[in-house]
Amino acid sequence: MSTRILTIEDDEEIRRVVSIFLQEEGWQVSQAGTGEQALEIFADKENKVDVVLIDIMLPGIDGFEVCRSIRKDSDVPIIMVTARADTHDVVAGLEAGADDYLTKPFALKELSARVRAMLRRARTPEAGDLERIKVGELEISPEEGLVTKNDVELNLTKTEFKLLVELAVQPGKVFSREVLLEKVWEYGYFGDGRLVDVHIRRLRTKVEDDPASPRYVVTSRGLGYKLQP
Amino acid sequence: MYKALSDLLLKTEWWRGLLAKLTIAYAFGSLILSISVAYFTFTIAQDQLIADFEESALIQFGENLIEARTGLAALPENSDEDPETSSAIINSVDEKVKHTATSDSILVLEGIGVRMGNRSRREIPEAQTSLIQESELSGMYYKFESEKRYIVGTRIENVNGFINADYHELHVLTELDETIKKLRRILIGAAILSGLAGATLGYYAAKRALSPISRVSSAAREMAAGNFQTKLDQEADPDLAILSSSFNEMVDKLRERVERDQRFTSDVSHELRSPLMTLSASIELLERDKENLSDNAKEAVELIDNGLKRFVQLVEDLLEISRMDAGAVQLQLTPFGLPEFLLQVISHSVGTDIELRHSNRDRNLVISADKRRMAQVLSNLISNAKKYAGGAKSISFRRIGDSVQITVEDEGPGIAIKDRQRIFERFSRATNDAGNRGTATGVGLGLSLVAEHVRLHGGKVWATDRIDGKQGSRFVVEIPVGEIFDTGEDLA
Repeated sequence: MSTRILTIEDDEEIRRVVSIFLQEEGWQVSQAGTGEQALEIFADKENKVDVVLIDIMLPGIDGFEVCRSIRKDSDVPIIMVTARADTHDVVAGLEAGADDYLTKPFALKELSARVRAMLRRARTPEAGDLERIKVGELEISPEEGLVTKNDVELNLTKTEFKLLVELAVQPGKVFSREVLLEKVWEYGYFGDGRLVDVHIRRLRTKVEDDPASPRYVVTSRGLGYKLQP
Repeated sequence: MYKALSDLLLKTEWWRGLLAKLTIAYAFGSLILSISVAYFTFTIAQDQLIADFEESALIQFGENLIEARTGLAALPENSDEDPETSSAIINSVDEKVKHTATSDSILVLEGIGVRMGNRSRREIPEAQTSLIQESELSGMYYKFESEKRYIVGTRIENVNGFINADYHELHVLTELDETIKKLRRILIGAAILSGLAGATLGYYAAKRALSPISRVSSAAREMAAGNFQTKLDQEADPDLAILSSSFNEMVDKLRERVERDQRFTSDVSHELRSPLMTLSASIELLERDKENLSDNAKEAVELIDNGLKRFVQLVEDLLEISRMDAGAVQLQLTPFGLPEFLLQVISHSVGTDIELRHSNRDRNLVISADKRRMAQVLSNLISNAKKYAGGAKSISFRRIGDSVQITVEDEGPGIAIKDRQRIFERFSRATNDAGNRGTATGVGLGLSLVAEHVRLHGGKVWATDRIDGKQGSRFVVEIPVGEIFDTGEDLA
């Protein structure tokens, strides 16, 4: 079954050229011009969507809302497209549930790199790759893609899970934002550190008893994060 | 220390301030008032003291005069013939007259001289002697051997039926004089104190009266810093209510305007990005199919691609600058290691061979800055060197106190002194020493963005000659190292 990408963009020209490109890359493409249309397509179980590409500025229900609706019952990878990198839009989008973002105008090469990185993250790690890790009340099973806290399964997205696993490989070791960006998102040195910060925050709301004073996912000297053993 | 104080006093012209003016006016007013009060108090008190003194001196004189008259009536007709009787009579009178510690009697018997007391005739001023011949009673103030004195006296005609006697009482006024002097000192002191009290009161009263103004100015400062949420509380005073309400109105209007500008920028940015997105994506699709194109078409695609890239960069730069003008830029400060950052910047700048230099002490230097913007600062400096100076040769940095200086050096023609400020302005390009405009193409926004970004970080950037004497220019970026937080959330 081939990979299906849902691209949500109100500008028809952009939607067309992006769709042509994605198809040339060998993926199936579903197109939506509005948020409502996108949610309809997403709800269609016949054509399961593997990656969502969503423009934040949409008529009707906006991209953030679409993001939140999708996140309610799906951990599908979401890449959002924003007009500017330095606004609160990026953080708001990430907090609404997006895994990564691109700013317009983005290079198509960059888009395919992002999609591929997402797909790699979404794939369950190969069995025997990693041992089961226990940290406090947390138990991480990399091969099953499962995290439990007091034997209750936590509902993490693929990105959150991958982030937790990377930290769990060496509990107590500080990972800089740059390292985490490279390992989880496959970005180079100049990737946006806010990706890490917002995902860490999302992760904390799921694994910590009190996200405001974290027990597991700890900030270290402002330079990076570590998993407190 | 002294210099700082004198600078403060002389250069700041503090006295021109409203607060200082009001305080000085209060001090001056209360000083004048207390000086006049003190002056009148002094005059009245002095007069009263003198009047009291004169009254008691005259009462004493009157009583003593009766004693003298009665006693001296028994003097023999010719005292010379019976000096013992005379002396005895005079002594008994002398014992009967009453005196304070500062007064004495002087009795002058006509044709005989001074008797009674141990004062000499010299101590009686001549005016007094002649005055008592004309009137019954004479009192006068005078100075004797720089001592202030008062003398009162009268002539007793035919004191024993035969000769005249002059009876005086002399008061040494040192004590009264001291009292008056003391009073004067106390009143002067009180005047100065109340002047100071007036100044203090004036300062606080003025401060209180000016507090609405200082509230307005601190609100205005907040606004200048981009905080348009600042509002003044409605003043109860009707005079000040106008000020606060019109200030608040102005804040609202300004905020609306800034918000409109920001919205406009954001809308324009979105509107421009969409067609640019279509164009650049389409070119990318074409380039993937390059092999199927004719040579001319291939070249055309390349030209469009280059032009488009420059266009995109220009739009990005213009939008960044307009965002800065609108005050809409917020730095995203994150801590990062500077050596690694600079190595990454260098490795991302294609086609250049740049050396990174720093002291061993700074090898683990971490700074807190907006990484994306600092990367743009450095890549702009590097591409500037590439365009105008044959490429940057080295980047170095060193920590100086709470700041870090990052230096980019090239071996180009250098920058004329007159251009060293101008190159950081928008759409300006340096002329080299020969005065040529240079052949490189590019829009002069790069360095102005560098300056703006650095300024946003609270730092500065400047261009100089190389300090090692070689030809070339040296761009120095100085920014604060910033605070590195130990724990806590990194995003607001």
